[in-house]
Amino acid sequence: MAVHQLIPSFVAGDASGQAALHLQLLLRRLGISGELYAGEVGAGLDSLAHPASALRPGPDDLVLYHHGIASPLSSRLMHLPCRRGVVFHNISPARYYTGTPLAEALVTGRAQLAAMAPFVDVALGVSDYNCAELREAGYRNVHTVPLFVEPQRFSESNADKALLARLSGTGPVVLSVSRVAPHKRFEDLLALHAELLELRPEARLLVVGGYEPGSRYFKSLQRRASELAGVHFLGRLNHAELVAAYRTADVFVSMSEHEGFGVPLIEAMAAEVPVLAYAAAAVPETLGGAGIAFDQKRFAFLAELVVDMCEDASLRERLLAGQARRLKHFSAEETQKALAKALGEDKHPRRRAPSARKKPRVGVVVQRYGEVTGGAERHAQQVVEQLAPHWDLTVLTTCAKNHLTWENVFPPGEEQDAHVEGVKVLRFPVTRVRNIRPFNALSKQVFDKPNERLREEHWVAEQGPVVPGLLEHLDAHGADYDGFVFFTYLYAPTVWGLPMVANRALIVPTAHDEPPIRFGVYADVFERPRALLCNTPEEVELIGRYYPDHAPARVVGVGVDVPEKVDPQRFREQYGVRNPYLLYVGRLEAGKGIPELLAHHRELRARFHDAPDLVLAGEAHMDLRGEGVRHVGRIGEQDKYDALAGALAVAVPSRFESLSLLTLEAFASGTPVLVNGHSEVLVGQVERSRAGRTYTDLESFISGLREVGEQRAVLSRRAKTYAAKYTWPRVVDAYREEMDRILREKSR
Amino acid sequence: MKLMGRDIPARELLARIEERLRTRGLPTSEPADVPEEGVEPRVDPLSFYLQALEEHSDATRALPLHTHRGGAGQLVLVAKWAFRKTCQVFINEALSRQRVFNGHVRDSYAQLSAEVIRLRAEVESLRAAQAGTQAPTPPSAEAPARPRRTAKQAKAPDEK
Repeated sequence: MAVHQLIPSFVAGDASGQAALHLQLLLRRLGISGELYAGEVGAGLDSLAHPASALRPGPDDLVLYHHGIASPLSSRLMHLPCRRGVVFHNISPARYYTGTPLAEALVTGRAQLAAMAPFVDVALGVSDYNCAELREAGYRNVHTVPLFVEPQRFSESNADKALLARLSGTGPVVLSVSRVAPHKRFEDLLALHAELLELRPEARLLVVGGYEPGSRYFKSLQRRASELAGVHFLGRLNHAELVAAYRTADVFVSMSEHEGFGVPLIEAMAAEVPVLAYAAAAVPETLGGAGIAFDQKRFAFLAELVVDMCEDASLRERLLAGQARRLKHFSAEETQKALAKALGEDKHPRRRAPSARKKPRVGVVVQRYGEVTGGAERHAQQVVEQLAPHWDLTVLTTCAKNHLTWENVFPPGEEQDAHVEGVKVLRFPVTRVRNIRPFNALSKQVFDKPNERLREEHWVAEQGPVVPGLLEHLDAHGADYDGFVFFTYLYAPTVWGLPMVANRALIVPTAHDEPPIRFGVYADVFERPRALLCNTPEEVELIGRYYPDHAPARVVGVGVDVPEKVDPQRFREQYGVRNPYLLYVGRLEAGKGIPELLAHHRELRARFHDAPDLVLAGEAHMDLRGEGVRHVGRIGEQDKYDALAGALAVAVPSRFESLSLLTLEAFASGTPVLVNGHSEVLVGQVERSRAGRTYTDLESFISGLREVGEQRAVLSRRAKTYAAKYTWPRVVDAYREEMDRILREKSR
Repeated sequence: MKLMGRDIPARELLARIEERLRTRGLPTSEPADVPEEGVEPRVDPLSFYLQALEEHSDATRALPLHTHRGGAGQLVLVAKWAFRKTCQVFINEALSRQRVFNGHVRDSYAQLSAEVIRLRAEVESLRAAQAGTQAPTPPSAEAPARPRRTAKQAKAPDEK
């Protein structure tokens, strides 16, 4: 059973879109797949949400429609041939909008709400207040599933530094966050501010939220605000700017006369701002005794209260402590419990049939598999090869060959692994081809700055590969597997698939220090599986730095098997390489540091007439021309080891490595390495082995290469000694131990 | 006035602030603005849609002028107003068939919704009559699903 969600509008900054994304996250944690469909999909967000017209649910599927203001989707819901549900976000009372075009849309929304009631199997209100309205509208099977907030996204470090600096200044600072609309009663905020100025002339009022500059309401507010000092309408802000506004404020005030939940109330709690709110509709329920709610708008009184909340340290401390306690009720875990109850998942948890098999059935989830180039993919293939005698393995992967476009090349469906007997490979088609230029532009926008979940999920979706079939397989057949091994933390199948089977999942993260590892959306990947099987101590340390609550981690790595007969001369003859050479084997693209390597080599050739050639082996995704540069294309295993044995040194120019299989293969061949000194992992490998040199610029590249040449014999011996520790039996034992732990728990 | 909060000394805070207001010579009690109780009432869809169709069936009647834009938005409003004033006769001409069509939609919806209301009432009365004539089945001894009724309760009304 999939649970799809239908939303009138899925655009950045929209509350129901965020609620849908949150529900999707929780559904995945419950092992349920499902897509988002929207009447209006915001520009560029079509990787996350499909148009509503594309919704084709199966008869057992559930479609949850997010209802608020009038939408034609309510009629569509009633006619869908599947189970139907409503998530009610409440509707502002029309009495505040008499004479505006909005009034009719609000009443229509309520009429639609009542019209859907007989056709709906389950109704979710985001508060008890909303649930009462659902019952009033004729719904049965009504459940409260509150919204939640991710407190870490509102921490000081997530605030936009520039806005934080711009907003710093005199106080007290009162903040209100919501779109500027009549029922939010911004005129009351201005009245409060006028009283506050009497007490504290330096006081400021910050108003965050979208507004219609042409509306009569906003104009009247502007007129009133112009008579007062310190009023700032900041408009709509991005997430980091919003956090800056919260972090600038001394008190958060809500004068709203109707709230179905009041998300800003809990955002303020997360940003550690005391809350003062008019006790309208669901506000007292959301506050739950935290903050201060009031029942009369006596502005002189409230201004005095604001001063106390700002200046009475003990009152402030008690308020913040109480709010922190209340915030725990709006955690993802609490909402997940409520959602599971509403969907009946708590009564009928998905049980796995007891396994009568001799070998445990294990699914290996990896973004590409087969005849593909890539360190993590090669790693996965080697692990499959080594574990095939011990486990009943099924590789769950995509039809993609190229990791830049994810174009479907391999046929979908089941096939036998071409290299390992008895291993099934299940391929699922990728539904979205990646265009790397817009993706890189998006990366520039989101990297190294705080984002809301939507922007991070958007990046993950654009990164891809998007394979809904794989997620549906985990939903429908996940229970048939005893365990799973996921490869690579970065890609969508891991981010979205792992939470569905987290209690039976191991992950080989192959993590390195790159901007996306800091995205909050990866928390589930590092915190929810049963164990992290890392490649180096540096990788464990890196994960601990960003995810202190990560799952138990151990260094497992890989084994390296050198072919029995290695002949460097064979490689030289086959590819016409006559001079001494520096070797690189792997993907030839900018992300691997190849341009820098080419530049250094070019300069080396210019300075020294006897400089070695640079031999590059692998699939090229860039121009590789240069004097003394030899691109030999993709080479087989035997050729690779022949080439490694004959190289003066192996260059590893990538900054982002979690292991560097190439380094280990070079060591096993007795060849020293010259590695990028900006990679902690590579520096660690070189320091531990003492079988290479690191470089950080041209000069260290040249001096490193010279030293490697001069001391090659000594370095070669050390390399072989170090590589001898990387044996497959040790690696296989580690995988089996971790999987046995899962199996033991399952049999309990 | 009430202050609600588990973490505050509400009474003390109220007294302290009232005292400060008194010192400042400000009134300590103002007319109460008590929030409305309860939730928003249900909007009956059948009657609402009929009313909305009646309201909007005349496509030649303009909606109130509105803009969400500042500045240039005012110019747009003036332009809209001028268009309506000068071109109403052409608007009527262009939308005359739409007006007739909307009238038929309204009338057929009115008939269908009236029929739904009549059928619902009929179903309700049939259900009530059925409940009245059928004696409740005594609960089985093996698995009582509900609390047992007394012998008196189990009797149908006409068994008295």
